[in-house]
Amino acid sequence: MTRNPADPVQIALTDLCFAVDGKQILRGITHDISAKRTGIVGRNGSGKSTLARLIAGLVPPTTGTASIDGHDLSQDRKQALIDVGILFQNPDQQIIFPTVREEISFGLRQLGHPKARADEMTQATLEEFGKSHWIDAHVHSLSQGQKHLVCLMAIVAMTPKLIILDEPFTGLDIPTKAQLTRALAQYHGNLLHITHDPADLAGYDHVIWLEAGQVAQTGDAPAVLNAYVDAMTAIGGTDDIADIAS
Amino acid sequence: MEKNVALIALFAALIAALGLIPKLTLGFGVPITAQTLGVMLCGTVLGSKRGTLSVLLFLLLVAIGLPLLSGGRGGLGVFATPSAGFLLGWPFAALVTGLIVEKWRGGSLAVVAGVASVIGGIVVMYAFGVAGMSVALDKSLVEAAVLVTAFIPGDLIKAVIAGMLTAALFKARPASVLSRYAA
Amino acid sequence: MISLTSPVKTRAHGWPAGLKLAGLCAATVGLFFIQNLAVHAGILCVIVAIYASAGPLFFKTGLRQLRLIWVFIAIVAIWHIWTGDIITGGTVILRLVSALALANLVTMTTRLTDMIDVVRVLTAPLARLGLNPAALEMAIALVIRLTPVLAQKGGNLTQAWRARSPRKPTWQILLPFTVLALDDADHVAEALRARGGFTPMKED
Repeated sequence: MTRNPADPVQIALTDLCFAVDGKQILRGITHDISAKRTGIVGRNGSGKSTLARLIAGLVPPTTGTASIDGHDLSQDRKQALIDVGILFQNPDQQIIFPTVREEISFGLRQLGHPKARADEMTQATLEEFGKSHWIDAHVHSLSQGQKHLVCLMAIVAMTPKLIILDEPFTGLDIPTKAQLTRALAQYHGNLLHITHDPADLAGYDHVIWLEAGQVAQTGDAPAVLNAYVDAMTAIGGTDDIADIAS
Repeated sequence: MEKNVALIALFAALIAALGLIPKLTLGFGVPITAQTLGVMLCGTVLGSKRGTLSVLLFLLLVAIGLPLLSGGRGGLGVFATPSAGFLLGWPFAALVTGLIVEKWRGGSLAVVAGVASVIGGIVVMYAFGVAGMSVALDKSLVEAAVLVTAFIPGDLIKAVIAGMLTAALFKARPASVLSRYAA
Repeated sequence: MISLTSPVKTRAHGWPAGLKLAGLCAATVGLFFIQNLAVHAGILCVIVAIYASAGPLFFKTGLRQLRLIWVFIAIVAIWHIWTGDIITGGTVILRLVSALALANLVTMTTRLTDMIDVVRVLTAPLARLGLNPAALEMAIALVIRLTPVLAQKGGNLTQAWRARSPRKPTWQILLPFTVLALDDADHVAEALRARGGFTPMKED
């Protein structure tokens, strides 16, 4: 029972707010996302990562709603596993099991597949990425870039309709970044890519620029990215790093 | 020297962090408090000397007023409760657990670490715990022992888990399981 | 990390920590030698009055500590009602509450820095046995600094688990968590070495 990840996906955010410890992180975001390749840019601290987790349903909103194809994923975790996968920044804080086989099979078993079937699907995923020989590898023997790929494969194996990427290229060298970008570009489903570096979003359709928890600008990728880069360069000329948040 | 201080401090922080992350389960939804598992791991991974110092450091920080026990508990008050005997038994548990893993070299590490965790983390810890409870509640040792029997099955499972984790850690990073190397 | 010292200032906040701790030890031992129910009741009343004198916020915080022992109070109460030995049961319960309340009082009225000073004094003799006082102070600071960081990483691991499973994380998450602690220990050791370790540099 494999679904087609190429099914279109509709993300709906309605007056989405998130606050923690009295600090307001997202302030009333209302937006619909249905492009195949969407980017979210913003400075560090703009709320991008929080937004990613709210869309994935990992964290419930303080007020407002986030839904994918009408499903509230913070309530329906089983549907969440079917609809969305999320790739985090640091593989060392993401990979749970000691072997590649276990790590990739884990999500498949959680989806309800019996052990033999999950193993089959794991091998199929590894073959898809040309890494069949990794099946019995121990995670600790892999390089950082290889670990990033294992995390990606573990998600792709579950064929979610949408993969959210939370700054997944942080700290990677140029060749590894290029290889992972290529692997992502081949994904049939939707991608939602969170980043502070506009270069990561080459070829993307739609971009949302988040500033201090609100949507500053949104639209076609080239236009929004140019505006974003100009604004960021201007701020770079000031000394706002001196300000301490109260 | 710096490596020792760092390891002792980080494992004390690990025990504390185990009280802060969401509660773990055994896989069938049964929740476990992972902090005593952390004490067992101090012994099985760091060995007797560093493991004991790590647990002592943790208890010191609890005593001086930091809310590091699961549920945000801490301060001198926790050492004045009937279960204070268990806390005082933690460093001895780590000591005995560490000694067994260091000295018993034959057989699988999972078994050795598991048995060590039972002897240190349960037998030794409960000895102190039951004694403390008997004094605080003004009951005989047998009566106090009866009160705590309900917790033993859960702790036995934790000891088995400690064994498996130690063996898995040794497989992934042999050099980090210090109990199997020089003192 | 916030300590359990009360932000409500009392006169006791200014008393020497060493004296408070010594007094606490003596008082706790004393409590266990008193067998008289009426005396225990009187002692507890005094303690409650001390808590109340510091204001409602202080009192409420102190009261919350009772959650540490309510199970034991219930067990003792049921036990002694069953055996008919109410007086002993009452004595045990009052003693438990008093001991806890006194210990908690010291914690709530003593600053962390004052406690660390006492630790420094008490562990000074251990220097002869090889305990490096600078190392102990550094270790205390490291745990305080790194516990929230490690907890955050553990939280990320549990989130990564929940991103692929509808169930709560199991014990298996402790393997990568322990590895993170070991890696952090490596980085911290490096940083300590880069800053000169624990031997103070000699003046020329």
